[in-house]
Amino acid sequence: MEELKKKLLAYFTDLTIQIHDDYRMCINTQKETVVSLLNYLKNMGYEHFALLSCIDWIDKGEFELIYILSAYMEVCDKYQEKEQGIIIIKARISRDDAKVISVINVFENAEPYERELHEMFGIKFEGHPRLTPLMLEREYEIPPFRKDFDTLKYVDNTFGKIPSIEERKANYERT
Amino acid sequence: MKILSLFISPLLALIIGLLFLGISRKITAKIHWRCGPPVYQPLIDVIRSFSQKSISHGAFFDFGIILSLSSSVVLIYFLPVGDLYAMTSGGLIAFLYLMLLGPFGIALSSAASGNPNSSIGVSRKFLLALAYEVPLLLVLLTVMTHYNTISLVEIVNIQAGTGMAFSSWALVLPGIAYFLILPAVLGVRPFEIVSAPQEISSGPVAEFGGKHLAFYTLQHALQLFVGLALFVNIFLGGGTLFGLLNPIAGTVWATILGIIIFLVKMFIVLVIELFINAVYPRFRIEQAMRYLWKWPTLIAFVGLVIVAILN
Amino acid sequence: MDRNQISKWFKNPGKMANKYSFHVVYFCTGCGIIEIPPSITTRWDAERFGIIPVATPRQANLFLITGYVSTKTLKAIIRTYEQMPEPKYTVAFGSCPINGGMYYDSYNTITSLDKYIPVDGYIAGCMPRPEAIFIGVTHLWKLIDMDKADGYKRYRRDYKFYRANQEQLFKELGWPPLFKDASL
Repeated sequence: MEELKKKLLAYFTDLTIQIHDDYRMCINTQKETVVSLLNYLKNMGYEHFALLSCIDWIDKGEFELIYILSAYMEVCDKYQEKEQGIIIIKARISRDDAKVISVINVFENAEPYERELHEMFGIKFEGHPRLTPLMLEREYEIPPFRKDFDTLKYVDNTFGKIPSIEERKANYERT
Repeated sequence: MKILSLFISPLLALIIGLLFLGISRKITAKIHWRCGPPVYQPLIDVIRSFSQKSISHGAFFDFGIILSLSSSVVLIYFLPVGDLYAMTSGGLIAFLYLMLLGPFGIALSSAASGNPNSSIGVSRKFLLALAYEVPLLLVLLTVMTHYNTISLVEIVNIQAGTGMAFSSWALVLPGIAYFLILPAVLGVRPFEIVSAPQEISSGPVAEFGGKHLAFYTLQHALQLFVGLALFVNIFLGGGTLFGLLNPIAGTVWATILGIIIFLVKMFIVLVIELFINAVYPRFRIEQAMRYLWKWPTLIAFVGLVIVAILN
Repeated sequence: MDRNQISKWFKNPGKMANKYSFHVVYFCTGCGIIEIPPSITTRWDAERFGIIPVATPRQANLFLITGYVSTKTLKAIIRTYEQMPEPKYTVAFGSCPINGGMYYDSYNTITSLDKYIPVDGYIAGCMPRPEAIFIGVTHLWKLIDMDKADGYKRYRRDYKFYRANQEQLFKELGWPPLFKDASL
């Protein structure tokens, strides 16, 4: 891990790297660097794109995107270069203008994750071929995983507004 | 007697088939250490299905299941149950021909339903039929060559004439071969690929509900009866037991006892099949074809060669 | 249990057969499906009451909804319910279909199921144990005896109200109405 940290710091300028224990490295970076960083790490042998997630920091007005990479266990000559462990890459983007470049060109399996984040947080991934709804049936004014989405109010306004069959029948007979 | 048997034999086959379905559920439950449903549970299911409204998917959907059920009823007429038989002519050739009409009717109506699971089930059914028809035809050819007749009634009578329930030793190998393919003919567990509920939502009958399902259950009961009865007739001597009934031959008691002996033989075969059914998992279709075209076919072919040399 | 009383069978065979031959289509939403395998296998053996799972809604007459209902699965639930042949019974399992349960404030989970399809009975609890399923079934027998398990009749009679509720939730349903008199 230490070796990798040195290599990364030599190659990229805008990184802050912490190593939490022997197997976990946390990299804070800018959103412009993410694609080239992922590309570099993929060539280093970290081929498994495990997760793309997001945290809503509503006080700071920022989304924090989290990319998690790991390497497959493999005993070969390159073992010294390719150290086992998890690499967590964090990049912050503005909450009002949530746009980021898609990483599909590097890792193809990021596609459903990006669709999900687009659906749940409203983040626009530039270069993604189809940002269509993935899981939700309805459309929401505010994407439902944002912190300013009031679930209780939403439930009262949509599911609560639907009358029971008896009420609807009574209304129908009254009119 | 013949006119009486026209009414009795389908009725008997239906009752016995439904009873066997119930018994098979009960025995399977006992093997699983469960209590199990009552033996008349299939009858309850049939009554329930008849009481439900069914949804039709067009004329062919209705026609196919009726064709399947009626062809199964006609099949019963060719099948002697002890002394109870309607026709002596026709024999095994017509029997084989009619045996294909039942699955064909089901295929017709499930094709009309347009469910993709049904089409997968139908294609599996015909592949399976293709697989077990080869050893089955070899076995039946062996039997016909050995007895020099195609009439089922005559085959049974010859076996009764020798005083032996089990046939002559030349037919032992074909008997083993038929027993090996019997689960495929009956469609029970190792060969339950056609109506695999967990894979393809019960296959050809995925769209059957209400009365169609009831007709299908009755047809299934008849098919079970036919598959077991053919084995008993050809290889286990039909309704005879070591010439036990010879002293009272020709009386009504002999007929009734013959039927009872026949049913007991069927029951024994069924129970053995059920043990196989309860223990084994399901084959994939290509595994089933590999199995059916290897050992049963080989054994049946050796049996055919032996019989041909003896003749 | 009056399964062995033959006089009742002759009086009303359809009702008795519906009581003692529940072919169940399980709608595996949420955590309730975990309770189903023990109840249909060796430990509790639902088959002794004639209850067996079937693979397609066409063959079924009991609809067991096991757990929370999200809006997307509600669509599938309505379609499945409409495909079942009459008479059909619905039992909602767990507290989520009753009032939302622990998902009472979820953005994507409906709060009460009986606004969209008729429900004949509820088995409350989070989660109900397999014994509760059998108690629910015995209650359903009583309801069928008294002709109170009439969800399918209500659905046929009040179809336009049910359809209006479904359309209010989904905007567009994507399949034609089941019965003719469908608009308010």
